[in-house]
Amino acid sequence: MAETKEKSLSDEKPKPRVRPIVRLGIFLISHSFLVSVVCCTAGVLALFLLPVLAKNTYISENALMPGSASPMLSNQHVSDGNRLVKDLTNPNSKSSETGIESHKIIAQYMLDLGAEVSFHKFHPQMNQFHPLHFFSSPVSGKIQENYSCSSYGINTVGIIRAPRGDGKEAIVLVTPYNALKSGFGEALSLGIAYSVFSLLTQVTWLAKDIIWLVADSQYGEYAAVAAWLREYQTPKFSSLSTPNAEMCPDVNNLFELKGHSISGSKFSNSFRRAGTMAAALVLKVRDQNEQFEDTISIYAEASNGQMPNLDLINVVNYLAVHRQGLRVNVEKLWPLLNSSWLKSLGEIFESLAKVAKSLYPKWKFGIPATEYVEGTATLASSLYYQALGVPTGPHGAFRDYQVDAITLEISPKFSLDKVWRNDILLRGGRLIEGVIRSVNNLLEKFHQSFFLYLLTSPSKFVSVGVYMIAFALLIASLPMVAASLYVDANSSSNCSKGDSSTPSAITDTDEHSIAIRSWRWLNSAKLVFIVHLWGAIVSLLPYFISQIPDCSPTTSFMIWVLLSILSLLTLNSVLASPLACAKATQEKEWALVKSVTISLVFIGLGLMSVINFATAEIGALLMVPMCLLARPLKLDVRAGTLRSFCRLICNLVLGHIAFPPAAFFLLKGMLDGFGNANVGDFWMWVESLWAWNSATYLFIGMVQLPCWVLCVSILFHTC
Amino acid sequence: MEKVKKKIGSFSFWNWVTASIIFRLILIYFPKNLNLSSRPEVSTPLTSFRRLAEGYWLKQSSMSPYAGSMYHGSPLLLSLLGPLTINRIEGQPNHLLYSLVSVIADVVSAMLIRATGQNLRLAYLRSLESLDLVKQIEVSEFLFSGDIAALIYLCNPFTIVACVGLSTSPIENMAVILCLYGACSRLIPLAAFGWVIATHLSLYPAILIIPVIFLLGCGPDSPPRKLFLQRHQQKEVLNQSKLPPRFSWGPVIHFAFWAFLWSVYVLVLCGISLKQFGGLWEMFKSTYGFILTVEDLSPNIGVLWYFFAEVFEFFRNFFLIVFHVNILFMILPLAIRLRHRPCYLAFVYVAICSMLKSYPSVGDSALYLGLLGWFVNELADMQFSLFLFCGYVGVSLLSPVMHNLWIWRGTGNANFYFATAMVYACLQIVLVVEGVSAMLNHDRKLRNLITGKPQDAKS
Repeated sequence: MAETKEKSLSDEKPKPRVRPIVRLGIFLISHSFLVSVVCCTAGVLALFLLPVLAKNTYISENALMPGSASPMLSNQHVSDGNRLVKDLTNPNSKSSETGIESHKIIAQYMLDLGAEVSFHKFHPQMNQFHPLHFFSSPVSGKIQENYSCSSYGINTVGIIRAPRGDGKEAIVLVTPYNALKSGFGEALSLGIAYSVFSLLTQVTWLAKDIIWLVADSQYGEYAAVAAWLREYQTPKFSSLSTPNAEMCPDVNNLFELKGHSISGSKFSNSFRRAGTMAAALVLKVRDQNEQFEDTISIYAEASNGQMPNLDLINVVNYLAVHRQGLRVNVEKLWPLLNSSWLKSLGEIFESLAKVAKSLYPKWKFGIPATEYVEGTATLASSLYYQALGVPTGPHGAFRDYQVDAITLEISPKFSLDKVWRNDILLRGGRLIEGVIRSVNNLLEKFHQSFFLYLLTSPSKFVSVGVYMIAFALLIASLPMVAASLYVDANSSSNCSKGDSSTPSAITDTDEHSIAIRSWRWLNSAKLVFIVHLWGAIVSLLPYFISQIPDCSPTTSFMIWVLLSILSLLTLNSVLASPLACAKATQEKEWALVKSVTISLVFIGLGLMSVINFATAEIGALLMVPMCLLARPLKLDVRAGTLRSFCRLICNLVLGHIAFPPAAFFLLKGMLDGFGNANVGDFWMWVESLWAWNSATYLFIGMVQLPCWVLCVSILFHTC
Repeated sequence: MEKVKKKIGSFSFWNWVTASIIFRLILIYFPKNLNLSSRPEVSTPLTSFRRLAEGYWLKQSSMSPYAGSMYHGSPLLLSLLGPLTINRIEGQPNHLLYSLVSVIADVVSAMLIRATGQNLRLAYLRSLESLDLVKQIEVSEFLFSGDIAALIYLCNPFTIVACVGLSTSPIENMAVILCLYGACSRLIPLAAFGWVIATHLSLYPAILIIPVIFLLGCGPDSPPRKLFLQRHQQKEVLNQSKLPPRFSWGPVIHFAFWAFLWSVYVLVLCGISLKQFGGLWEMFKSTYGFILTVEDLSPNIGVLWYFFAEVFEFFRNFFLIVFHVNILFMILPLAIRLRHRPCYLAFVYVAICSMLKSYPSVGDSALYLGLLGWFVNELADMQFSLFLFCGYVGVSLLSPVMHNLWIWRGTGNANFYFATAMVYACLQIVLVVEGVSAMLNHDRKLRNLITGKPQDAKS
């Protein structure tokens, strides 16, 4: 934009010497149409090229040394684990209503190993509306509530103190467990964790404490882990004032029982801590599985598209594939796997690569078409889950405290015989042991490898430096188009003034537009500001709507829409002064509005790409074409050429698609089919976004929605 | 017509003032949610509220307020504002009284800006009249720059954030504005008082003495004196009364006398309050010394912290000198070029200081952006206005996000945050450069109007 005015300057002056960079800017701006078409196409193409450009993962931190030591987990430990599984699945243990019995069994097992054991009681936190939470530190957003004794969960925590450590670092192993209705899979995951735990009490190489958290998942896995982490990281000093779970008789009962039945001095009533967490592993075993081999799925996305350090995934992947012979999976967007156009695209890339290779043998960048399709499906799901900003598992709670964590879900090929069970216990246990041993070697926290990446397969990734290019290409045209529109609007109005007004060009026939020529955009900026303010109000409205009791999603959504429209009208009538009305008649007003809109969309997208890249990328795919194409329909109708007709159609289509609810339903329809679409779904989706403190919610409310409104207002501009 | 417009203008002016005050009060009631007072953009080591409270506490427990390198402000602020840091009203937010003081300071500054702006506008019209340009430049369309400047100052998010974030910059800004107001309305004791207090509080306003001397010596902003002479040569009647007055030393000496008086007074007060704690030398060392040696390298929106965190200890003194001389280098050329527009000169100085300051905060930007409003009529043709606007919006949103990425998420590093600081510095440079060139162009345009050269609208 900086160069824009230079252009107008050079137009009027008798050719002063222009600096090369300015000349380049002028060139770009004067060809902004071509440049923007090229940039946008290149941006979309680069996005589809990402699976081809993906690099193989490698272990960046030398200290990790995965797989260098032979696993020590023996059949003895496995049979220990088996014993626990048996005890837990034993119908006797389920007699108690609250499931306290099984917690006691687990605690007793831990104590027998010589670990420190404590119970942590928590209340599940209700969903709260604090959309800026992602932005602040985790500590500051704490809200006290009135607790009741009716609902609480119990986490069982066992800690092994490292013989070689100083107690300042720890590794966390989490197994979600619902004592009330646990499947066999959950018991099995406890068995695996227990066998590793029993090994780790004996080894001499341990330099970091091991914390085994059996998270009570009856209120959701995430809630339990988050509650424990909150307690761990932010100790409460004024426990007297707040009623908490300790005061409930039922819970105290638990302790009394413990005192009698559990022998061991290492049981404590208070909350036990170890050092700062180096890494955390969440272990799950899936109940049903139809696949032919043992697979292990890795879930890594935490809130707002944050990922754990790539090294952690690398270590797991390396050990699982090369040491334990497990197949590693990351989430894929299944519908994409069967799409034929993706396949043909992959084939095109493949043949292109072949041609390139025949031209110059050192060019090797092609990948087979099937691999390309799989990579794209993985990439799409990676983008999707990051864009949602909702964590894909309990590991998400750790990332809020800068702890790298992933969820490992083992899905064994299912059979019930004992040999198979021992096998899965052994292999799963050895995998966990290997990962813990690697992390144990760390001297610093994970920092070597990437934090910002997209996975295209468990062993391939696209780093920030590559995927940012695609995004940058996509939005690069925005400032240029904004600048060229701005220059056009200014120069055209200047010309018209030059003809009609008095010799001193300062005076202006329009009474209100005074002498402020270069500040003419202020009026458009005001309109844009009003719409963005409205966006902020719309984003805040759900907080009040959610207070209404007994409201079905559909009615909530309707109330939301109504209130939004009402507030838009009110804002417009209150803040839009007569000055703006007088201005609106001016020609080319829409161009200025568009210019300011585009500039702010550019800022918004740039900002979002730093907070959550995936959201920004998807948002840019929707918004950039809409912003660039927006032009008053009247002008296009009047022109009547083929080009303007095409633009008109594009505008109408984009105007419908880019409306956030419409985009949501379209996406949902593509993934699940259009049959069961319901208006309330959007409300539920939005609710889940703000309940998880997703920045995507703010992005939709304060960037995309205002942008859509402004573009529609440009479309219907009367000029 | 003029009257009606003025009525409408003033009506909505007061509306906006009330709205901005109410907005501040609303924000003050949610201090914990915003947590603004701990943001590095708002509170620097010099303006932080928490440091002030700490200094006050140290002093109450009869220790030197400068012990432990926590507090680096003036001892007078401790005596005036210190009690407000601990006074609480039941059921109200903790620092309500202190926040109210900041709000009042903001409003007073805005009123002073408004009065000064009106002064400047009248002076400008008078000089146009004496140049016989009134017809060519339609005076009725002149904006009320005072109102606009005051509103820019009050409604600027930077000002609001600095005010709600409990920093001391509203007070420092008020002192600067008081000085300029006094000089514009020829209240010499007031000008001297403002200058002494502003210098005492944050050192950098000391260079404002040059614009103040020009203001007192030749009166407020006007086109260059040369133009008047040319005009009257054309008419061939040298009417002395229509010429702007020559530089007169009387008020300047008067000002010097008052400045001396006030500074002795302030130093005596400081000396009394620091009698047991090392006296004035201690104060100079930990206020001015702290500013000049850039001891605190915690991140802020300036560029010095990063530089001095990187630089070898061996070269530190050299670069300290280089950076500070940077400001001094610019004083003289600007003073020569803009001597006929002392208020504009003051704006440029303030902007340059806030760019090259050792601990800048958004409060400093709030000040110069407010002062910029005085010159809306002259800067109508300023270039890059939309670019600057978008830049300021972008940087002020990006900077907290980068800080969050660095400090809380751990996925970024110091370079991320420093990048926004550099962009911010560049924006300020562009603003100053474009502002000055627009002002010079304006003068050139007036000259062309007088000499009757063909219009060159853009230059």
